[in-house]
Amino acid sequence: MTNLFASDPAAVAQEAKIENDDVVIAKSRIILRRFLRNRTAVAGLAIFLALTLLSFIGGFFSGWDKEAIDPLNIGTPPSGEHLLGTSQAGIDLYALTVEGTRISILIGLVVGLVSVLIAAVYGCTMAYFGGKVDKVMLFILEALIMMPALLVVAVATSGGGIGLKKNLPSWLLLIIVLLVFSWMGTARLIRSLSLSLMQRDFVKAARYMGVPPRRIVWRHLVPNIGSLLVLDITRGVTGAILAEVAFSFIGIGIKVPDVSLGVLIGQATSQVSTFPWMFWVPLAVMFLLTGSLAMMNDGLRDAFDPSSGSIGSANGSARTGKTQKTAKKKST
Amino acid sequence: MSGETAPVPAGTPGAPGAVERLHVAGLHAASDAVLSVRDLNVRFNTENGVLHAVRGVDFDLLPGKTLGIVGESGSGKSVTSLAVMGLLPDTAEVNGSVRLLGTELLGLGDKAMCRYRGNDIAMVFQDPLSSLTPVYTVGNQVIEALTVHNPTMSKHAKEARAVELLGLVGIPSPRDRLKAFPHEFSGGMRQRVMIAIAIANNPRVLIADEPTTALDVTIQAQVLEVLHTAQEETGAAVVMITHDLGVVAGMADDIMVMYAGKPVEAGTVDDIYYNPRMPYTMGLLGAVPRVDIAEKSSLVPIEGIPPDLVRAPTGCSFAPRCPLASDACLAGEPALSGVSGSPGHTAACIKSDALDGADVHEIFAAPAVPVSRLDAIPRSGRKAVLELRDVKKHFPLTKGALIKRRIGTVKAVDGLSFDIREGECFSIVGESGCGKTTTLLEIMEFHRDQDGEVIIGGLSNKAAAGARTTAAMRRELQMVFQDPTGALDPRFTVYEVLAEPLETSGMARPAIRKRILELMDLVGLQPDHVNRFPNQFSGGQRQRIGIARALAVNPRLVVLDEPVSALDVSVQAGVINLLDQLRAELGLSYLVVAHDLSVVRHISNRVAVMYLGKIVEIGDVDRVFDFPRHPYTRALLSAIPVPDPHLERSRERIILKGELPSPLDAPTGCNFASRCPVFAALPAAQQEKCLTLEPPLEPEQPAAVPASSSPAAPGAAPDQQFACFYPDGELAADLLVVHEPGPIIHQNNPHQKKKGTP
Amino acid sequence: MLRYLAKRALTYVVMIFLTTSAGYLLAVSTLQPALLEQERIPRPTPEQVVNSFRLKGLDPTLSPWERYVDWLTGILTRWDWGRSPNGAYINAEFGDRVWISTRLFLAAIILTLVIGVALGVYTAARQYKASDRVITSYSYLVYIVPAPIAYFLVQLGAISINETVGERIFFVTGISTPGLAGDGWARFLDMLAHYAVPTFAITIVGWGAYQIAQRQYLLDNVNADFVRTARAKGLTRNQAITRHALRVSFIPVAQSIAFTVPAIFAGGFFAEKIFAWHGIGSWSIDSIGLQDVNAATATLAYGSLIFAIGAILADFATTLVDPRVRVQ
Repeated sequence: MTNLFASDPAAVAQEAKIENDDVVIAKSRIILRRFLRNRTAVAGLAIFLALTLLSFIGGFFSGWDKEAIDPLNIGTPPSGEHLLGTSQAGIDLYALTVEGTRISILIGLVVGLVSVLIAAVYGCTMAYFGGKVDKVMLFILEALIMMPALLVVAVATSGGGIGLKKNLPSWLLLIIVLLVFSWMGTARLIRSLSLSLMQRDFVKAARYMGVPPRRIVWRHLVPNIGSLLVLDITRGVTGAILAEVAFSFIGIGIKVPDVSLGVLIGQATSQVSTFPWMFWVPLAVMFLLTGSLAMMNDGLRDAFDPSSGSIGSANGSARTGKTQKTAKKKST
Repeated sequence: MSGETAPVPAGTPGAPGAVERLHVAGLHAASDAVLSVRDLNVRFNTENGVLHAVRGVDFDLLPGKTLGIVGESGSGKSVTSLAVMGLLPDTAEVNGSVRLLGTELLGLGDKAMCRYRGNDIAMVFQDPLSSLTPVYTVGNQVIEALTVHNPTMSKHAKEARAVELLGLVGIPSPRDRLKAFPHEFSGGMRQRVMIAIAIANNPRVLIADEPTTALDVTIQAQVLEVLHTAQEETGAAVVMITHDLGVVAGMADDIMVMYAGKPVEAGTVDDIYYNPRMPYTMGLLGAVPRVDIAEKSSLVPIEGIPPDLVRAPTGCSFAPRCPLASDACLAGEPALSGVSGSPGHTAACIKSDALDGADVHEIFAAPAVPVSRLDAIPRSGRKAVLELRDVKKHFPLTKGALIKRRIGTVKAVDGLSFDIREGECFSIVGESGCGKTTTLLEIMEFHRDQDGEVIIGGLSNKAAAGARTTAAMRRELQMVFQDPTGALDPRFTVYEVLAEPLETSGMARPAIRKRILELMDLVGLQPDHVNRFPNQFSGGQRQRIGIARALAVNPRLVVLDEPVSALDVSVQAGVINLLDQLRAELGLSYLVVAHDLSVVRHISNRVAVMYLGKIVEIGDVDRVFDFPRHPYTRALLSAIPVPDPHLERSRERIILKGELPSPLDAPTGCNFASRCPVFAALPAAQQEKCLTLEPPLEPEQPAAVPASSSPAAPGAAPDQQFACFYPDGELAADLLVVHEPGPIIHQNNPHQKKKGTP
Repeated sequence: MLRYLAKRALTYVVMIFLTTSAGYLLAVSTLQPALLEQERIPRPTPEQVVNSFRLKGLDPTLSPWERYVDWLTGILTRWDWGRSPNGAYINAEFGDRVWISTRLFLAAIILTLVIGVALGVYTAARQYKASDRVITSYSYLVYIVPAPIAYFLVQLGAISINETVGERIFFVTGISTPGLAGDGWARFLDMLAHYAVPTFAITIVGWGAYQIAQRQYLLDNVNADFVRTARAKGLTRNQAITRHALRVSFIPVAQSIAFTVPAIFAGGFFAEKIFAWHGIGSWSIDSIGLQDVNAATATLAYGSLIFAIGAILADFATTLVDPRVRVQ
């Protein structure tokens, strides 16, 4: 206690050491390591990235584009000239699939990211203000959950959107509508999670230290719901891609001339037996897409889960509750 | 223990091997034991390797006797009991021998084991809140225990027996309560139901695993009493597993102390408490503060943490923490061996013979009692750092769905006034629900709309106009939380944790870094650990981080909410010593809320006893604890088990009836009347006064002080106030319990005298 | 309890009113049946169209708000949900459509629940064994297949069975063979042949979610303290799990069932569309295609109502299985 306010050389040296010391592995690195250890997850990530890349540059590998009609090849199976065959209109299926994949991924990414963002802002606002604000916002949330999304999708994209349709491509319209109906579940989850976080002692401690509320939200709440947000983004992307396919499949989502995987699959259903490649090719791409996302999601969940089995060399990283004893042993 | 690892062959009681083992284990002959455990080993497969959780446990349990197994968390005591019951998961590897009434239990299948479980051997678990199935009625669950082993019993007979059992464990109107669901019962009541289930088939062996750890002291006393009754009714032998040396002192005949999965000392209860021969046992006994003695010596801290049982210890498992460890201790793990001059007493220490009569404080180098410069100044001469004036916190209790009706008021805190002076430790004690935590929160909230005045370092909440006053107040007052894990953001490094209050107070970065290093040093942590995350520290170290954070801005008053209740006994002592030291060196004041009266007695100068939102007794801690005037204080104190077997067996205990009533039902007169042992014995005319008038909190009326009741009272008026009309009233006889007269050695101990008799 | 349910019901009535009104206003301002009329041959004059619509209460010259008020008055005073552009009365058609949807989904829902929950229990009991891995992987696989595509694949499968056998065993579309003559037995066989494919398709797509949920909740409970207590009484592990853990694990499942049954029901657009059963779901989509404001709104109101009933049922189911939330 004698050196309480004195500065001695040892302390200064110590200081320098702390600044450069890297004995502690950052949490994000631990999570990254765990994710990379999970082979399925890495495979999922690789497939997803490959598909995304293909959807953007795939067009350059083929002489045909999605609008060029080959009058000599109408509804032909895969051949040297047309890698994946052609559609009934004589358009190269490879070009169509590349284009469709891009639209589907675009819809998935935009809806997944933006809806989680909306949900985070909405959920945190509810939890933070509480009281009347919370009640009103919760009511709006539940009312939106009650609205059958599909109907509104149909109204917006089919008959009704006439005015809108002139200005907006149907995929953008679908993105907007999907966004409106995709964030409520996550928002509710974030609200309840934030509420329980606000009750935690470390948040109380920060309040009693006089830390301003905005800082508490930013430094304590957001990082602690971060893992949930990341998981919800991958889930949201998957959900949006599935929704696009489902809606377009029955003819109320993306409309021709725009293409998407759902449109391609849906168009091909009537002649599956005659032109099977038209159906199975885009379907296979869709499976690769959603499947790779599901694999990634699984790996991420494992990496975030403190009680997961894949601890490995990530020593004393995230362990709580029952495994406290082991954590004890690791400290000196 | 003797190096022999083969299990005792099944079906041959008294085989030579077993006899020899017994001799080595040195407890009793196995022939008449109801439960005999030999060389029990349990291993679990974990991610880090094979965890050898129990490493060679031997014991014999004689009919009707009680064996206490004492150890800290992770010592293997609970795993031992679950292994005996055959309730470990299939992944656990269990070796050795467990014989119940001569039958080998290990190796029996689940189905075969079911013939014994709940019939000859039964168990009571730690957490009563989660141990009953929420969707079935209590009666249903008691009857199920009967049905399993008595399929022919008629429905009527089973119901009658269930009523009888619930009555036996002290559940009022048992017939009606059969149809109640567990959530309608309090924790204490649920634990009674658990006991009723356990004794339903008159077991020969009853294992109780920390049965009272989750309960309040008054409820703990009740439940221990029920266990005692249950043992008397059934004649069962009891294995009592606990970390609390006080709980078993009065109950157990024999004690086994476990450390790192192994028994390290075993013997009769007197051997262990009065003549311990293993440094760990000695340390444990020295680490526990005593509620009944005004000793102001430091507690014995046991440095370090228990070994990792994934790696087999090569030497004595306690050696790394033992102050007496020498090179010899590191060569091979010592076996339990007889202690010279003390038959039946064994210890696993190569130096056990030399420890006869050793002073634990010397061995463990307990620090000297820190003296604050403020201690010399009389209390009245010191400034007040916190003052509460008539603080109230009432919650409206509403009912109804559409239109909320106010059906009453919960008076969580009802008119509290006290002050804390510089350099003083003030504690609030009481059962859970008495309002002590609400009081803390009211102080921490500090805003103008509060009912009552809170003055912190001269700043009144009534004048708390803006952020400036509040910020000034936050620099005067900081808080340490109960759960050290929950109070630290898991995503912050220690550096970030400690920097947060400093950044908030606007300190510059280089100054922050310097201050953090000072703080680490101050609380006894290595400064180069600042880059670690909280989960890389042990519980005790985390609590030190919490204390360092509270001290960061140099507050004058630190509020501590149950600062050590989440810690193991040996770790607890270190944190308490640290708090003592910081108070003396930095001139801090503490406001402590705690349910453990022993800890309170050790660290406090003054104490307030709360009951239903009101202070019923307040004053100097030694005065209040040695000469309690309010019947509630007396009951509370008598409910605390003391780690002293003689005293524990012979002292008279007040067992309060019922539980803390809902604050909603607070009566007009004295709040405590419904449970008061004095009130129960009063003539009706005097009872009237308790029921109609609220007793004020006042110092003793000089005329009313009977000379005999306060022999140590100094000439000046003692610092003690209480709220009771009849502090000297006779206690109702049916609420008093003395188990056995026993040989009273401490005749001259003033605490054993029956107090309060006019 | 009753008071609580009443309060919830009232909240939902308000919500239904709001969503339906919002839906109506959205539909009435975007759907323009008059445009479709223009495509008729012979092409009617705009005046004829307006007149014809005015007679049906669909006057396109009125502002959306005026039409909303008219529409609402009709419902509140006469329980008249209006007419379609082709003149049909919504009230009359509604009953038929609901009945068709009910027939399509009732058996499927029951099968989905029973199979899903049973498989959940089965896999939880065999955690990490081969059967658990296969079944749980299947459930996760279903999650990445859009429902309409799964239905379509089942349809393809049924067709290929028919082709292999060379006889029409299954009908992959429609609700019954029109004009079928014959006795009760023949009718029954015909019904089976029509029901089999959609019921099978909806069931195998639906059970995955319940299987995963039930498995997870049961696994959360098999090591609970109260199961240990039950074993300490002398119950075997399996007895303790079936008598104690199962019942407790059913609490959240019951709640989710009450919530998702109406969701399946109201979200049955895909199944109705693919299997060509003209129930509520396909009506709602068709009505939008036909620019039918009143029908679209009616189906929306129906969806909201079903949702509200589900939410109240969920509350009710919870109080039924969980004594802790019963109001004393």
